[in-house]
Amino acid sequence: MNIEKFMKRNVISIPITSTIGDAAAVFIKERVSLLPILDAQGKPVGVVRLSNLVSMEMPDFLKLMEDFDFVHDFGAIESMQPTIEMLSRSVKTIMQPIDTIDKDCGLMRVYAIMLKDEIFDLPVTNDNGELVGIVSRVDIGTGILTTWCTE
Amino acid sequence: MSLAAILSSLTFLVSLALIFSEKINRTIVGIAGAALMVGLGNFLGFYSESQALDSVDFNTLGLLLGMMILVSLLEPTGFFQYMAVWAGKLSKGQPVRLLVMLGAVTTLLSMFLDNVTTIVLIAPVTILICEILGITSTPFLIAEALLSNTGGVATLVGDPPNIIIGSAAGLSFNDFLVYSLPIVLVVWVITLLLLRFLMRHELSIPPKNMDAVMKLSPSEALDDKKTAKKILIVLGAAILLFFIAHFLHISPAYVALSSAGIALLWVRPDVKETLERIEWSVLIFFAALFVMVGGMESAGVLESLVHVLAGASSIPPVLFGVFIIWGVAGLSAIVDNIPITIAMIPVIHGLGAAGMEIGPLWWALAFGAGFGGNGTIIGSTANIVVATLSEKTRTPITTKMWTRRGLPVMLTTCSVATILYILVFPLFPR
Repeated sequence: MNIEKFMKRNVISIPITSTIGDAAAVFIKERVSLLPILDAQGKPVGVVRLSNLVSMEMPDFLKLMEDFDFVHDFGAIESMQPTIEMLSRSVKTIMQPIDTIDKDCGLMRVYAIMLKDEIFDLPVTNDNGELVGIVSRVDIGTGILTTWCTE
Repeated sequence: MSLAAILSSLTFLVSLALIFSEKINRTIVGIAGAALMVGLGNFLGFYSESQALDSVDFNTLGLLLGMMILVSLLEPTGFFQYMAVWAGKLSKGQPVRLLVMLGAVTTLLSMFLDNVTTIVLIAPVTILICEILGITSTPFLIAEALLSNTGGVATLVGDPPNIIIGSAAGLSFNDFLVYSLPIVLVVWVITLLLLRFLMRHELSIPPKNMDAVMKLSPSEALDDKKTAKKILIVLGAAILLFFIAHFLHISPAYVALSSAGIALLWVRPDVKETLERIEWSVLIFFAALFVMVGGMESAGVLESLVHVLAGASSIPPVLFGVFIIWGVAGLSAIVDNIPITIAMIPVIHGLGAAGMEIGPLWWALAFGAGFGGNGTIIGSTANIVVATLSEKTRTPITTKMWTRRGLPVMLTTCSVATILYILVFPLFPR
Protein backbone atom coordinates (compact mmCIF):
# COMPACT_ATOMS: atom_id res chain seq x y z
CA MET A 1 0.00 0.00 0.00
CA ASN A 2 1.47 3.38 -0.96
CA ILE A 3 0.70 6.89 0.15
CA GLU A 4 -1.02 8.15 -2.98
CA LYS A 5 -4.32 6.71 -1.77
CA PHE A 6 -4.24 8.47 1.59
CA MET A 7 -2.71 11.84 0.78
CA LYS A 8 -4.60 15.12 0.69
CA ARG A 9 -4.62 16.29 -2.92
CA ASN A 10 -5.66 19.83 -2.22
CA VAL A 11 -2.33 21.27 -1.12
CA ILE A 12 -2.66 24.66 0.53
CA SER A 13 0.41 26.73 -0.22
CA ILE A 14 1.55 30.33 -0.21
CA PRO A 15 3.56 32.32 -2.75
CA ILE A 16 7.11 33.38 -1.94
CA THR A 17 6.00 37.01 -1.99
CA SER A 18 3.92 36.49 1.19
CA THR A 19 4.67 38.13 4.52
CA ILE A 20 4.77 36.35 7.87
CA GLY A 21 1.41 37.99 8.63
CA ASP A 22 -0.07 36.54 5.40
CA ALA A 23 1.18 33.07 6.36
CA ALA A 24 -0.40 33.45 9.81
CA ALA A 25 -3.75 34.34 8.20
CA VAL A 26 -3.63 31.23 5.97
CA PHE A 27 -2.78 29.01 8.97
CA ILE A 28 -5.76 30.40 10.86
CA LYS A 29 -8.17 30.02 7.92
CA GLU A 30 -7.10 26.55 6.77
CA ARG A 31 -6.13 25.08 10.18
CA VAL A 32 -3.09 23.30 8.76
CA SER A 33 0.33 22.97 10.35
CA LEU A 34 2.60 23.29 7.30
CA LEU A 35 2.53 25.48 4.21
CA PRO A 36 4.71 24.81 1.18
CA ILE A 37 6.09 28.04 -0.32
CA LEU A 38 5.91 28.30 -4.12
CA ASP A 39 8.01 30.48 -6.42
CA ALA A 40 6.57 32.45 -9.37
CA GLN A 41 6.58 29.28 -11.54
CA GLY A 42 4.60 27.36 -8.91
CA LYS A 43 7.62 25.28 -7.92
CA PRO A 44 7.97 24.47 -4.17
CA VAL A 45 11.07 26.19 -2.77
CA GLY A 46 10.57 25.75 0.95
CA VAL A 47 8.08 25.38 3.77
CA VAL A 48 6.90 27.31 6.78
CA ARG A 49 5.52 25.49 9.81
CA LEU A 50 2.94 26.67 12.29
CA SER A 51 5.57 25.97 14.97
CA ASN A 52 8.05 28.35 13.26
CA LEU A 53 5.55 31.16 13.66
CA VAL A 54 4.64 30.31 17.25
CA SER A 55 8.32 30.00 18.25
CA MET A 56 8.90 33.55 17.05
CA GLU A 57 7.20 34.55 20.28
CA MET A 58 7.91 31.46 22.39
CA PRO A 59 10.80 32.69 24.54
CA ASP A 60 14.13 30.95 23.92
CA PHE A 61 15.00 30.63 27.56
CA LEU A 62 12.24 28.04 28.03
CA LYS A 63 14.64 25.63 26.34
CA LEU A 64 17.05 26.20 29.24
CA MET A 65 14.57 24.85 31.75
CA GLU A 66 14.49 21.14 32.42
CA ASP A 67 10.89 21.42 33.44
CA PHE A 68 8.47 24.10 34.52
CA ASP A 69 5.90 22.10 36.46
CA PHE A 70 6.19 24.66 39.23
CA VAL A 71 4.85 27.45 37.01
CA HIS A 72 1.08 27.35 37.06
CA ASP A 73 0.55 30.63 35.26
CA PHE A 74 2.81 31.95 32.52
CA GLY A 75 1.71 35.50 33.31
CA ALA A 76 3.04 38.07 30.88
CA ILE A 77 4.51 35.34 28.65
CA GLU A 78 0.92 34.42 27.67
CA SER A 79 0.34 37.82 26.14
CA MET A 80 3.57 38.11 24.18
CA GLN A 81 2.91 39.29 20.63
CA PRO A 82 5.10 39.97 17.65
CA THR A 83 5.44 43.55 16.50
CA ILE A 84 3.74 44.77 13.29
CA GLU A 85 7.20 45.09 11.82
CA MET A 86 7.88 41.38 12.47
CA LEU A 87 4.57 40.38 10.86
CA SER A 88 5.35 42.43 7.75
CA ARG A 89 8.68 40.70 7.17
CA SER A 90 8.93 38.38 4.16
CA VAL A 91 8.13 34.73 4.75
CA LYS A 92 11.56 34.06 3.26
CA THR A 93 13.12 35.14 6.58
CA ILE A 94 11.71 32.09 8.37
CA MET A 95 11.45 29.70 5.42
CA GLN A 96 12.80 26.16 6.02
CA PRO A 97 14.15 23.76 3.38
CA ILE A 98 11.47 21.48 1.90
CA ASP A 99 11.52 17.71 2.50
CA THR A 100 9.32 15.71 0.15
CA ILE A 101 8.35 12.08 -0.35
CA ASP A 102 7.59 10.22 -3.55
CA LYS A 103 3.93 9.25 -4.03
CA ASP A 104 4.87 5.58 -4.54
CA CYS A 105 6.53 5.28 -1.13
CA GLY A 106 5.17 2.60 1.24
CA LEU A 107 3.13 3.65 4.28
CA MET A 108 5.37 2.04 6.91
CA ARG A 109 8.46 3.63 5.38
CA VAL A 110 6.91 7.13 5.41
CA TYR A 111 5.71 6.68 8.96
CA ALA A 112 9.17 5.54 10.06
CA ILE A 113 10.79 8.54 8.35
CA MET A 114 8.28 10.88 10.01
CA LEU A 115 8.98 9.44 13.46
CA LYS A 116 12.73 9.44 13.00
CA ASP A 117 12.99 12.97 11.63
CA GLU A 118 10.24 14.33 13.88
CA ILE A 119 8.14 15.37 10.87
CA PHE A 120 4.39 15.85 11.21
CA ASP A 121 3.50 16.82 7.62
CA LEU A 122 5.26 15.87 4.43
CA PRO A 123 4.60 17.20 0.90
CA VAL A 124 4.25 14.46 -1.74
CA THR A 125 5.76 14.71 -5.25
CA ASN A 126 5.31 12.74 -8.49
CA ASP A 127 8.05 11.35 -10.72
CA ASN A 128 8.64 14.81 -12.24
CA GLY A 129 9.15 16.35 -8.82
CA GLU A 130 5.87 18.25 -8.97
CA LEU A 131 3.84 18.78 -5.79
CA VAL A 132 0.80 16.48 -5.97
CA GLY A 133 -0.32 16.20 -2.35
CA ILE A 134 0.55 16.34 1.31
CA VAL A 135 0.38 13.75 4.11
CA SER A 136 0.26 14.08 7.86
CA ARG A 137 1.07 11.48 10.52
CA VAL A 138 -2.69 11.07 10.97
CA ASP A 139 -3.17 10.34 7.25
CA ILE A 140 -0.42 7.74 7.22
CA GLY A 141 -1.29 6.24 10.62
CA THR A 142 -4.96 5.80 9.79
CA GLY A 143 -3.90 4.50 6.33
CA ILE A 144 -1.92 1.76 8.03
CA LEU A 145 -4.88 0.91 10.30
CA THR A 146 -7.17 0.75 7.26
CA THR A 147 -5.06 -2.03 5.77
CA TRP A 148 -5.54 -4.04 9.00
CA CYS A 149 -9.28 -3.71 9.00
CA THR A 150 -9.84 -4.58 5.34
CA GLU A 151 -7.72 -7.74 5.50
CA MET B 1 69.83 34.36 39.39
CA SER B 2 70.67 30.79 38.38
CA LEU B 3 69.80 29.20 35.04
CA ALA B 4 67.25 27.01 36.86
CA ALA B 5 65.59 30.08 38.37
CA ILE B 6 65.47 31.87 35.01
CA LEU B 7 64.10 28.89 33.07
CA SER B 8 61.51 27.98 35.71
CA SER B 9 60.30 31.58 35.96
CA LEU B 10 60.12 31.75 32.18
CA THR B 11 58.06 28.53 32.03
CA PHE B 12 55.64 29.91 34.59
CA LEU B 13 55.35 33.36 33.02
CA VAL B 14 54.83 32.02 29.49
CA SER B 15 52.17 29.61 30.81
CA LEU B 16 50.45 32.48 32.63
CA ALA B 17 50.53 34.61 29.47
CA LEU B 18 48.99 31.75 27.47
CA ILE B 19 46.31 31.21 30.12
CA PHE B 20 45.45 34.91 30.15
CA SER B 21 45.40 35.13 26.35
CA GLU B 22 42.68 32.43 26.38
CA LYS B 23 43.98 31.17 23.04
CA ILE B 24 44.48 27.68 24.47
CA ASN B 25 42.35 26.07 27.19
CA ARG B 26 43.84 26.87 30.60
CA THR B 27 43.95 23.25 31.76
CA ILE B 28 45.88 22.20 28.66
CA VAL B 29 48.37 25.04 29.24
CA GLY B 30 48.61 24.00 32.89
CA ILE B 31 49.40 20.36 32.14
CA ALA B 32 51.94 21.29 29.45
CA GLY B 33 53.58 23.91 31.70
CA ALA B 34 53.77 21.51 34.65
CA ALA B 35 55.27 18.80 32.45
CA LEU B 36 57.86 21.24 31.13
CA MET B 37 58.68 22.42 34.65
CA VAL B 38 59.24 18.88 35.95
CA GLY B 39 61.19 18.00 32.79
CA LEU B 40 63.49 21.01 33.26
CA GLY B 41 63.77 20.23 36.96
CA ASN B 42 64.83 16.66 36.26
CA PHE B 43 67.30 17.69 33.56
CA LEU B 44 68.92 20.54 35.51
CA GLY B 45 68.51 18.79 38.85
CA PHE B 46 66.49 21.45 40.67
CA TYR B 47 63.08 19.74 40.88
CA SER B 48 62.37 16.02 41.14
CA GLU B 49 59.09 14.23 40.45
CA SER B 50 58.55 13.55 44.14
CA GLN B 51 59.14 17.23 44.92
CA ALA B 52 56.56 18.09 42.27
CA LEU B 53 54.07 15.76 43.93
CA ASP B 54 54.82 17.33 47.31
CA SER B 55 54.16 20.82 46.01
CA VAL B 56 50.56 19.95 45.04
CA ASP B 57 48.36 21.33 47.79
CA PHE B 58 46.08 18.37 48.36
CA ASN B 59 44.29 20.31 51.08
CA THR B 60 42.95 22.73 48.45
CA LEU B 61 42.14 19.95 45.98
CA GLY B 62 40.47 17.76 48.62
CA LEU B 63 38.33 20.59 49.90
CA LEU B 64 37.29 21.53 46.36
CA LEU B 65 36.57 17.93 45.38
CA GLY B 66 34.56 17.22 48.52
CA MET B 67 32.40 20.32 48.05
CA MET B 68 32.01 19.58 44.33
CA ILE B 69 30.68 16.08 45.12
CA LEU B 70 28.14 17.51 47.57
CA VAL B 71 27.00 20.06 44.98
CA SER B 72 26.87 17.40 42.30
CA LEU B 73 24.53 15.37 44.51
CA LEU B 74 22.37 18.39 45.34
CA GLU B 75 22.17 19.68 41.76
CA PRO B 76 19.64 17.21 40.29
CA THR B 77 17.29 17.42 43.29
CA GLY B 78 15.91 20.80 42.18
CA PHE B 79 16.92 22.42 45.47
CA PHE B 80 18.49 25.45 43.77
CA GLN B 81 15.38 26.00 41.66
CA TYR B 82 13.26 25.57 44.77
CA MET B 83 15.16 28.33 46.53
CA ALA B 84 14.84 30.69 43.54
CA VAL B 85 11.12 30.01 43.10
CA TRP B 86 10.59 30.47 46.83
CA ALA B 87 12.45 33.81 46.71
CA GLY B 88 10.36 34.87 43.72
CA LYS B 89 7.11 34.01 45.43
CA LEU B 90 8.13 35.74 48.65
CA SER B 91 8.89 38.92 46.70
CA LYS B 92 5.22 39.01 45.64
CA GLY B 93 6.49 40.15 42.27
CA GLN B 94 7.73 43.54 43.46
CA PRO B 95 10.95 44.23 41.50
CA VAL B 96 13.03 45.71 44.33
CA ARG B 97 12.00 42.97 46.73
CA LEU B 98 12.70 40.39 44.02
CA LEU B 99 16.20 41.84 43.55
CA VAL B 100 16.93 41.62 47.28
CA MET B 101 15.45 38.13 47.69
CA LEU B 102 17.13 36.57 44.64
CA GLY B 103 20.42 38.35 45.43
CA ALA B 104 20.33 37.14 49.03
CA VAL B 105 19.46 33.54 48.12
CA THR B 106 22.17 33.37 45.45
CA THR B 107 24.72 34.85 47.84
CA LEU B 108 23.80 32.58 50.73
CA LEU B 109 24.03 29.47 48.55
CA SER B 110 27.29 30.53 46.91
CA MET B 111 28.87 31.26 50.30
CA PHE B 112 28.85 27.52 50.97
CA LEU B 113 28.40 25.95 47.55
CA ASP B 114 30.01 26.41 44.18
CA ASN B 115 29.31 29.88 42.86
CA VAL B 116 29.02 28.84 39.20
CA THR B 117 26.65 25.92 39.81
CA THR B 118 24.45 28.20 41.90
CA ILE B 119 24.27 30.80 39.14
CA VAL B 120 23.78 28.24 36.36
CA LEU B 121 20.73 26.82 38.16
CA ILE B 122 19.22 30.01 39.57
CA ALA B 123 19.60 32.29 36.52
CA PRO B 124 17.10 30.41 34.27
CA VAL B 125 14.47 30.55 37.04
CA THR B 126 15.22 34.25 37.42
CA ILE B 127 14.64 34.81 33.71
CA LEU B 128 11.39 32.82 33.88
CA ILE B 129 10.08 34.83 36.85
CA CYS B 130 10.96 38.11 35.11
CA GLU B 131 9.26 37.03 31.87
CA ILE B 132 6.16 36.01 33.82
CA LEU B 133 6.18 39.48 35.35
CA GLY B 134 6.82 41.05 31.96
CA ILE B 135 9.94 42.88 33.18
CA THR B 136 13.51 42.74 31.89
CA SER B 137 15.70 40.15 33.63
CA THR B 138 18.97 42.03 33.01
CA PRO B 139 19.25 43.88 36.35
CA PHE B 140 18.42 40.73 38.31
CA LEU B 141 20.96 38.57 36.48
CA ILE B 142 23.72 41.17 36.84
CA ALA B 143 22.87 41.62 40.52
CA GLU B 144 22.93 37.88 41.18
CA ALA B 145 26.42 37.55 39.70
CA LEU B 146 27.79 40.66 41.44
CA LEU B 147 26.28 39.81 44.82
CA SER B 148 27.37 36.17 44.75
CA ASN B 149 30.92 37.14 43.72
CA THR B 150 30.96 39.57 46.63
CA GLY B 151 29.41 37.17 49.13
CA GLY B 152 31.76 34.35 48.17
CA VAL B 153 34.66 36.24 49.76
CA ALA B 154 33.07 35.79 53.19
CA THR B 155 33.84 32.11 53.78
CA LEU B 156 36.71 29.68 53.37
CA VAL B 157 34.67 27.56 50.95
CA GLY B 158 32.92 30.45 49.19
CA ASP B 159 35.43 30.94 46.41
CA PRO B 160 38.42 28.96 45.05
CA PRO B 161 40.92 31.80 45.80
CA ASN B 162 39.84 31.65 49.46
CA ILE B 163 40.50 27.92 49.59
CA ILE B 164 43.98 28.46 48.13
CA ILE B 165 44.73 31.37 50.48
CA GLY B 166 43.34 29.50 53.48
CA SER B 167 45.52 26.52 52.77
CA ALA B 168 48.68 28.52 51.98
CA ALA B 169 48.34 30.80 55.01
CA GLY B 170 46.90 28.21 57.38
CA LEU B 171 43.66 30.17 57.82
CA SER B 172 40.72 28.25 59.24
CA PHE B 173 37.01 28.43 58.44
CA ASN B 174 36.56 30.45 61.64
CA ASP B 175 39.32 32.89 60.65
CA PHE B 176 37.26 33.75 57.60
CA LEU B 177 34.13 34.18 59.70
CA VAL B 178 35.97 36.53 62.06
CA TYR B 179 38.11 38.56 59.64
CA SER B 180 36.32 38.36 56.30
CA LEU B 181 32.60 37.87 56.95
CA PRO B 182 32.00 41.18 58.83
CA ILE B 183 33.78 43.22 56.15
CA VAL B 184 32.01 41.33 53.36
CA LEU B 185 28.63 41.88 55.03
CA VAL B 186 29.16 45.64 55.01
CA VAL B 187 30.44 45.54 51.43
CA TRP B 188 27.52 43.32 50.35
CA VAL B 189 24.87 45.66 51.77
CA ILE B 190 26.56 48.64 50.12
CA THR B 191 26.69 46.71 46.82
CA LEU B 192 22.97 46.01 47.08
CA LEU B 193 22.17 49.67 47.78
CA LEU B 194 24.41 50.76 44.92
CA LEU B 195 22.72 48.32 42.54
CA ARG B 196 19.32 49.55 43.70
CA PHE B 197 20.47 53.05 42.74
CA LEU B 198 22.17 52.11 39.46
CA MET B 199 19.13 50.14 38.33
CA ARG B 200 16.48 52.52 39.64
CA HIS B 201 14.97 53.05 36.17
CA GLU B 202 14.52 49.36 35.31
CA LEU B 203 13.27 48.59 38.81
CA SER B 204 10.65 51.33 38.71
CA ILE B 205 8.77 49.76 35.78
CA PRO B 206 5.65 48.20 37.33
CA PRO B 207 5.28 44.45 36.61
CA LYS B 208 2.26 43.42 34.58
CA ASN B 209 1.32 40.16 36.14
CA MET B 210 2.08 39.90 39.82
CA ASP B 211 -0.69 37.36 40.51
CA ALA B 212 1.02 34.80 38.27
CA VAL B 213 4.10 34.87 40.53
CA MET B 214 1.93 34.08 43.52
CA LYS B 215 0.80 30.92 41.71
CA LEU B 216 4.38 29.60 41.51
CA SER B 217 4.71 26.37 43.42
CA PRO B 218 8.19 25.99 44.99
CA SER B 219 7.51 22.45 46.21
CA GLU B 220 6.97 21.29 42.63
CA ALA B 221 10.42 22.60 41.72
CA LEU B 222 11.95 20.31 44.33
CA ASP B 223 12.03 17.10 42.29
CA ASP B 224 13.76 14.88 44.83
CA LYS B 225 12.88 16.08 48.29
CA LYS B 226 14.31 13.01 50.04
CA THR B 227 17.78 13.33 48.53
CA ALA B 228 17.83 17.11 48.97
CA LYS B 229 17.06 16.64 52.67
CA LYS B 230 19.88 14.11 53.08
CA ILE B 231 22.45 16.33 51.34
CA LEU B 232 21.38 19.39 53.34
CA ILE B 233 21.75 17.44 56.59
CA VAL B 234 25.26 16.33 55.55
CA LEU B 235 26.10 19.85 54.39
CA GLY B 236 24.88 21.31 57.69
CA ALA B 237 27.00 18.81 59.59
CA ALA B 238 29.99 19.65 57.38
CA ILE B 239 29.60 23.36 58.12
CA LEU B 240 29.43 22.60 61.85
CA LEU B 241 32.56 20.48 61.52
CA PHE B 242 34.33 23.30 59.66
CA PHE B 243 33.77 25.42 62.79
CA ILE B 244 35.44 22.93 65.09
CA ALA B 245 37.87 21.28 62.63
CA HIS B 246 40.73 23.21 64.20
CA PHE B 247 40.05 21.80 67.66
CA LEU B 248 39.63 18.28 66.31
CA HIS B 249 42.96 18.59 64.45
CA ILE B 250 41.35 17.71 61.14
CA SER B 251 41.73 19.66 57.92
CA PRO B 252 38.83 21.31 56.02
CA ALA B 253 39.68 18.93 53.17
CA TYR B 254 39.05 15.97 55.45
CA VAL B 255 35.72 17.46 56.55
CA ALA B 256 34.63 18.00 52.93
CA LEU B 257 35.77 14.62 51.66
CA SER B 258 34.36 12.64 54.56
CA SER B 259 31.05 14.52 54.22
CA ALA B 260 31.04 13.66 50.52
CA GLY B 261 31.72 10.03 51.44
CA ILE B 262 28.84 9.95 53.91
CA ALA B 263 26.51 11.67 51.44
CA LEU B 264 27.40 9.19 48.70
CA LEU B 265 26.86 6.28 51.07
CA TRP B 266 23.51 7.67 52.19
CA VAL B 267 22.15 8.67 48.78
CA ARG B 268 23.72 5.86 46.67
CA PRO B 269 23.46 7.81 43.40
CA ASP B 270 24.57 6.69 39.96
CA VAL B 271 28.25 7.35 40.70
CA LYS B 272 29.19 7.78 37.05
CA GLU B 273 26.60 10.52 36.62
CA THR B 274 27.54 12.21 39.90
CA LEU B 275 31.24 12.24 39.07
CA GLU B 276 30.58 13.52 35.57
CA ARG B 277 29.30 16.75 37.09
CA ILE B 278 32.60 17.29 38.96
CA GLU B 279 34.76 19.92 37.29
CA TRP B 280 37.82 17.77 36.89
CA SER B 281 39.41 20.31 34.56
CA VAL B 282 39.43 22.86 37.40
CA LEU B 283 41.06 20.41 39.80
CA ILE B 284 43.72 19.43 37.25
CA PHE B 285 44.35 23.11 36.47
CA PHE B 286 44.93 23.79 40.18
CA ALA B 287 47.30 20.83 40.53
CA ALA B 288 49.26 21.93 37.46
CA LEU B 289 49.63 25.49 38.78
CA PHE B 290 50.86 24.14 42.12
CA VAL B 291 53.46 21.99 40.33
CA MET B 292 54.67 25.04 38.38
CA VAL B 293 54.89 27.32 41.41
CA GLY B 294 56.63 24.51 43.34
CA GLY B 295 59.22 24.27 40.57
CA MET B 296 59.95 27.98 40.80
CA GLU B 297 60.34 27.71 44.56
CA SER B 298 62.72 24.74 44.22
CA ALA B 299 64.75 26.63 41.64
CA GLY B 300 65.37 29.36 44.19
CA VAL B 301 63.17 32.02 42.59
CA LEU B 302 61.70 32.69 46.00
CA GLU B 303 65.10 33.59 47.46
CA SER B 304 65.81 35.94 44.56
CA LEU B 305 62.37 37.41 45.13
CA VAL B 306 63.16 37.96 48.81
CA HIS B 307 66.11 40.13 47.83
CA VAL B 308 63.96 42.18 45.50
CA LEU B 309 61.17 42.38 48.04
CA ALA B 310 63.51 43.30 50.90
CA GLY B 311 63.31 46.84 49.60
CA ALA B 312 59.53 46.66 49.62
CA SER B 313 59.47 45.57 53.26
CA SER B 314 60.23 49.12 54.31
CA ILE B 315 56.83 50.19 52.93
CA PRO B 316 54.25 50.27 55.76
CA PRO B 317 52.40 46.92 55.67
CA VAL B 318 49.00 48.63 55.70
CA LEU B 319 49.92 50.49 52.50
CA PHE B 320 51.20 47.27 51.00
CA GLY B 321 47.86 45.63 51.79
CA VAL B 322 46.03 48.44 49.99
CA PHE B 323 48.34 47.95 46.98
CA ILE B 324 47.48 44.26 46.97
CA ILE B 325 43.72 44.90 47.15
CA TRP B 326 43.78 47.25 44.17
CA GLY B 327 46.50 45.52 42.14
CA VAL B 328 44.95 42.08 42.45
CA ALA B 329 41.44 43.50 41.89
CA GLY B 330 42.58 45.25 38.72
CA LEU B 331 44.14 42.04 37.39
CA SER B 332 41.17 39.88 38.46
CA ALA B 333 38.83 42.14 36.52
CA ILE B 334 40.57 41.32 33.26
CA VAL B 335 41.94 37.83 33.81
CA ASP B 336 41.24 34.67 35.81
CA ASN B 337 41.76 35.26 39.54
CA ILE B 338 42.94 31.71 40.33
CA PRO B 339 46.41 31.89 38.70
CA ILE B 340 46.83 35.40 40.13
CA THR B 341 46.12 34.10 43.62
CA ILE B 342 48.43 31.10 43.22
CA ALA B 343 51.17 33.35 41.82
CA MET B 344 50.78 35.86 44.66
CA ILE B 345 51.28 33.22 47.35
CA PRO B 346 55.08 32.84 46.92
CA VAL B 347 55.33 36.63 46.66
CA ILE B 348 53.61 37.09 50.02
CA HIS B 349 55.64 34.28 51.58
CA GLY B 350 58.72 36.04 50.12
CA LEU B 351 57.70 39.27 51.82
CA GLY B 352 57.35 37.32 55.05
CA ALA B 353 60.86 35.94 54.64
CA ALA B 354 62.06 39.49 54.01
CA GLY B 355 60.74 40.42 57.42
CA MET B 356 57.28 41.88 56.71
CA GLU B 357 54.24 40.99 58.84
CA ILE B 358 52.25 39.15 56.22
CA GLY B 359 49.20 38.08 58.26
CA PRO B 360 47.02 40.99 57.10
CA LEU B 361 48.19 40.68 53.48
CA TRP B 362 46.33 37.39 53.00
CA TRP B 363 43.06 39.20 53.62
CA ALA B 364 44.01 41.92 51.14
CA LEU B 365 44.63 39.19 48.57
CA ALA B 366 41.24 37.58 49.27
CA PHE B 367 39.40 40.92 48.96
CA GLY B 368 41.23 41.92 45.77
CA ALA B 369 40.72 38.55 44.06
CA GLY B 370 37.06 38.40 45.12
CA PHE B 371 35.84 41.93 44.47
CA GLY B 372 37.95 42.52 41.34
CA GLY B 373 35.98 39.97 39.34
CA ASN B 374 32.92 42.24 39.41
CA GLY B 375 34.49 44.91 37.24
CA THR B 376 34.04 43.45 33.77
CA ILE B 377 31.75 41.01 31.99
CA ILE B 378 34.66 38.52 31.77
CA GLY B 379 35.92 39.16 35.32
CA SER B 380 34.41 36.00 36.78
CA THR B 381 32.81 32.80 35.56
CA ALA B 382 29.50 33.82 37.14
CA ASN B 383 29.49 37.00 35.03
CA ILE B 384 30.11 35.04 31.84
CA VAL B 385 27.36 32.55 32.75
CA VAL B 386 24.65 35.17 33.27
CA ALA B 387 25.70 37.07 30.16
CA THR B 388 25.51 33.88 28.07
CA LEU B 389 22.12 32.90 29.51
CA SER B 390 20.77 36.39 28.92
CA GLU B 391 21.39 35.92 25.19
CA LYS B 392 18.27 33.73 25.27
CA THR B 393 16.17 36.72 26.34
CA ARG B 394 15.02 39.87 24.59
CA THR B 395 17.57 41.97 26.44
CA PRO B 396 20.99 40.30 26.24
CA ILE B 397 23.59 41.69 28.64
CA THR B 398 26.17 43.65 26.67
CA THR B 399 29.71 44.59 27.72
CA LYS B 400 28.62 48.20 27.99
CA MET B 401 25.64 47.29 30.14
CA TRP B 402 27.92 45.32 32.45
CA THR B 403 30.58 47.98 32.72
CA ARG B 404 27.95 50.58 33.70
CA ARG B 405 26.96 48.45 36.73
CA GLY B 406 29.90 46.16 37.43
CA LEU B 407 32.66 48.74 37.32
CA PRO B 408 31.03 51.12 39.84
CA VAL B 409 30.35 48.09 42.04
CA MET B 410 33.96 46.95 41.80
CA LEU B 411 35.32 50.42 42.55
CA THR B 412 32.92 50.91 45.44
CA THR B 413 33.47 47.47 46.97
CA CYS B 414 37.24 47.85 46.72
CA SER B 415 37.08 51.36 48.22
CA VAL B 416 34.87 50.24 51.10
CA ALA B 417 37.05 47.16 51.63
CA THR B 418 40.13 49.42 51.65
CA ILE B 419 38.67 51.75 54.27
CA LEU B 420 37.56 48.85 56.46
CA TYR B 421 40.91 47.13 55.90
CA ILE B 422 42.79 50.20 57.12
CA LEU B 423 40.43 50.59 60.09
CA VAL B 424 40.67 47.01 61.29
CA PHE B 425 44.30 46.52 60.24
CA PRO B 426 45.61 46.45 63.85
CA LEU B 427 43.16 43.63 64.64
CA PHE B 428 44.38 41.21 61.93
CA PRO B 429 46.56 38.39 63.25
CA ARG B 430 50.17 39.03 62.24
